[in-house]
Amino acid sequence: MGASTYSRRVSLVAVLRLSVLTFLADPQWLVPSLIAPVIFGLVSYELFTGAGPWFVLYAILGAGMMSMWGQTLYGSGWATGQDRHLGTLEPTLTAPTPYVYVVLGRVIWNTVAGLFGGLIVFVVVAITYGHPIPLANPLEFLLMFVFVIVTLAAVGVVFAAAYVYTRYAGFVQNVGEFAFYIGTGCMFPVVLLPFWSNPISLVLPPTWALDALRYLAIPGYQGFGWGFWWDMVGAVGTTLLYLGIAASVFRRVERHVLEAGDLNDW
Amino acid sequence: MTERSAIHARDVRRVFESRKGFFFNELIRTEALRGVDLDVDHGEIFGLLGPNGAGKTTFTKILSTLLIPTSGSVEVLGLDVVRQAAELRPRIGLVLGGERGLYNRISARENLRYFADIYGVPVVHRDRRIQEVLDRVDLTEAADRRVEEFSRGMKQKLHLARGILHGPEILFLDEPTIGLDPKSARETRKLIRSLVADGVTIFLTTHYMFEAEELCQRIAVLSRGRIVARDTVAGLRKLVGGDRTIEVEAYGFDDGEIQRLNRLPGVSRVMSEEFGPRLRLTMRVRTDELSLEQVRAQLVNHPELAVRERRTSLEDVYLDLVEEEAS
Repeated sequence: MGASTYSRRVSLVAVLRLSVLTFLADPQWLVPSLIAPVIFGLVSYELFTGAGPWFVLYAILGAGMMSMWGQTLYGSGWATGQDRHLGTLEPTLTAPTPYVYVVLGRVIWNTVAGLFGGLIVFVVVAITYGHPIPLANPLEFLLMFVFVIVTLAAVGVVFAAAYVYTRYAGFVQNVGEFAFYIGTGCMFPVVLLPFWSNPISLVLPPTWALDALRYLAIPGYQGFGWGFWWDMVGAVGTTLLYLGIAASVFRRVERHVLEAGDLNDW
Repeated sequence: MTERSAIHARDVRRVFESRKGFFFNELIRTEALRGVDLDVDHGEIFGLLGPNGAGKTTFTKILSTLLIPTSGSVEVLGLDVVRQAAELRPRIGLVLGGERGLYNRISARENLRYFADIYGVPVVHRDRRIQEVLDRVDLTEAADRRVEEFSRGMKQKLHLARGILHGPEILFLDEPTIGLDPKSARETRKLIRSLVADGVTIFLTTHYMFEAEELCQRIAVLSRGRIVARDTVAGLRKLVGGDRTIEVEAYGFDDGEIQRLNRLPGVSRVMSEEFGPRLRLTMRVRTDELSLEQVRAQLVNHPELAVRERRTSLEDVYLDLVEEEAS
């Protein structure tokens, strides 16, 4: 065999296949992908059922978002941490395929898995309480739902870079998890948070995307008050910003770890 | 760089920095490599020996683009390992010893399928190539079992299979037989020889002297981050004083006796070592002229004297060189 050259498509498919196989082989994923969405969905419904159907939907969207976070963002970064743990980061980095494609493949898989997490919330609530959740614009809602996951994935790519950079990325991610739940408006409307925290919320793409999603789903929704399309501008802008950061950071991160020589530390 | 060089390294230095203390305010610098020069020819098995912490793995990682040297230049297959890493990576293979480096929850075949794809093995040949390497490392029967069920030896074979999967021109093996049972280690050595027959250049680090002696055309000894010797095994024997080693043991020798042994024809050096209550003198001898009778004749006052002769082993050479460097 001669010198090999990689194919982006083949590499992405390989990473997707590996992600599915390791997902199926590891029972710990049952928690974020199956159990957490069920619990989040049921608790949200029970808490807000007296506040009217649209407020229930508001809460359930937040619950769906929290479920998707676990799978999409957490999964993307965590997989790179696992590479460190297993010692597979070294043979993966010496491969001709740039590591960013490996991360991208994982993000695609986690996006799909996250989508399932979000859907589970809706299905569980519909089955348990005997009626489907009302949606003002179902088709647009579905498209927006996928876009929300893309915004989560953008943050996930940045976290994956952090995991390549340092084995301590998990600490930052775990701390960030609570900031995410509160800061993006999953649990409470962002406008209820202190004013000083608003800039933090606004640099997170899911904050904008979730607000836009609620505009689509809930008639008369006010949210930030600047309307659906400004939310979209914010969501697309911040997502591109995160993807841009990831693209420029990845090459530097690789250089850094090759200088530090700590790829095998975990 | 010579035309023949597969690896060409000049004045390679590597310093690791770490911080400790509550505020990470104490900087610790460890000099792992202190000016390594090395050339490895195409198609040879080159051995790098050295004690723990000598810098073998650091140097191997630099050669395989996993670590950037602090200074110096390194070319592998004519490509700079830092600036041309992307071009070099498809042409090299790396096998690091140990149990890590594999996805444990999936099968050996799935591991190889994944690495084949990201290492650029064409999809149309992939499954056939995987079967070839599985056959070659004798893992065909276990190919569809999860790696977590594998013994250490089987994992090591799988590491090797992954390393050769994409047909590298040069293969870096970092202690490939560590922890293997004798049968598996022998099979691994057989595989390494067969790879060389296929034209692959092998760069091998090992702690096992007999393995290096059996496999390597040339050997370098790395000690405290510096190459202290490099040659063929025969050349290294000459370097430490000869092919023959004569050992004498008794309950102590006086200085005069040791000096007399040192002056015998062909004796290049005499080293002493305590051995329980006894003292052992090890003599390196360059010629065949010196007989054991001549040695005994110098030590007539020791009725309990034991004298024996053996061929100087690579282990003798290695210990001489490393101890000399340490002192």
